[in-house]
Amino acid sequence: MGEFIRVNIDPERCLGAKECGKCIQVCPVNIFAPRGADCPHALDENEDECTLCDLCLAECETNAITIHKLYEE
Amino acid sequence: MRLLEYESKEILKEKGIPTPFGRVISAIEKAPPFPVPCVLKAQVPAGARQKAGGVVIALNNEEFQYKTAQMLSGTVRGYRVNKILVEERIDVLEEFYMGIIYDTVAKSPVAIFSPQGGIDIEKLAQERPESVHKRHFSVRHGLLEYEAREIISLAGVGGKRLVALSNILALLASIFLENDATVAEINPVAQTRKGTVMALDCRLEIDDDALYRHTDIQRKSRDPDRTEGGREKSSFEEKAAEIDGLDQRGVAGRLIEFDGNLGLIIGGGGASLTAFDAVKRYGGRPANYCEIGGNPSVLKTKELTKHILSKPGVEKIAVIMNVVSNTRVDLMARGVIKGILETGRRPSETVAVFRVPGAWEKEGFKILSRYGVEYCDRTVSIDEAARRAVEKLGGSHPNRK
Repeated sequence: MGEFIRVNIDPERCLGAKECGKCIQVCPVNIFAPRGADCPHALDENEDECTLCDLCLAECETNAITIHKLYEE
Repeated sequence: MRLLEYESKEILKEKGIPTPFGRVISAIEKAPPFPVPCVLKAQVPAGARQKAGGVVIALNNEEFQYKTAQMLSGTVRGYRVNKILVEERIDVLEEFYMGIIYDTVAKSPVAIFSPQGGIDIEKLAQERPESVHKRHFSVRHGLLEYEAREIISLAGVGGKRLVALSNILALLASIFLENDATVAEINPVAQTRKGTVMALDCRLEIDDDALYRHTDIQRKSRDPDRTEGGREKSSFEEKAAEIDGLDQRGVAGRLIEFDGNLGLIIGGGGASLTAFDAVKRYGGRPANYCEIGGNPSVLKTKELTKHILSKPGVEKIAVIMNVVSNTRVDLMARGVIKGILETGRRPSETVAVFRVPGAWEKEGFKILSRYGVEYCDRTVSIDEAARRAVEKLGGSHPNRK
């Protein structure tokens, strides 16, 4: 788990890596990793590299992704 | 990259600039390649070699053997001597200075000439500015011979010497431009008693960023004796270089090891040098010098922080950069704090000062506040940040202000 950033993907909303997978494609720091055809998962070791560019948020059609700045909570 | 004297002279010779007859040796020989007396010149990429015993005269064959052996077994200005340029001794009547440098303020190359050669030109320019003559010239057209003649003529040199010297100065300017040099200097250029004008010494420094355009010179840069000053990288420095290679993002790991108690995570071009010097000026003892910048990944900054803190004797770290636009403050803060936490220390007690203002600083300062780390914005100078860091480690040196 990241020390500063936590990226959550709601599996109920996510269309899955096979049908969508746009978050994997757009993330410049490789936070998202495929898990077969299912919902991608955020790599613990990469979460703190998140640049807060919001490309994944913009691409996700179902608003399945939330990004938490842990240092603000 | 600074070329060795004999390498620079090869370039001069190709251009037709006369130099003394000489040969490079790398082992002890019984006799010089021409009759004594001769001059032995240590081939190291450093100036002021004569003062350091790197230029000596051999009056006979015994002296030649003895002095060659002595030179090849020693160091000059920190560099191991592997090659000696043996040159004929020139009977000098008069010495001059000429050089081409790039004026970063005028954004133009500038030719410099002085009728007083063989001396420190910077010192001369300060003490007797009237004896140093300069002229800027275009990178497109180079220094035309009539322009070179004007500079030398203004210095009070006339006759045949004027023609010979202006020809050499114009050729030196073309060498400067063709080789992407940052410095091209002949000091001294001498008039001999036989009436010829020749380059007795030469310094050529090539812009590192342009080396790819000069593959023959680039190959020479890999010579470890030239780049490392005869000193091998310590395992601490090797490890830092490995960290820098973890990914392609930014720089975090060009490090030089020292033996102090204050770890430095510093960067920003000249800002890292400024910060290092300021720490020293206030009586601090740096554990390292390093360069960080270009927006390194959190991973690299974290690993570098851990690495510096792993060095025995390091009590605190100072994180100092100039106002950064191409490095994100929040990502720097994340890396530094994560590194500290992974060593089991407290960020608030480990960071002596965090002075990285610039892009995303509000976000960065939020992170630092969260962990109780004291930070500075751009209203605090690099010098003041260094002073505060030294003070945190037990106060400034009593003789420093």
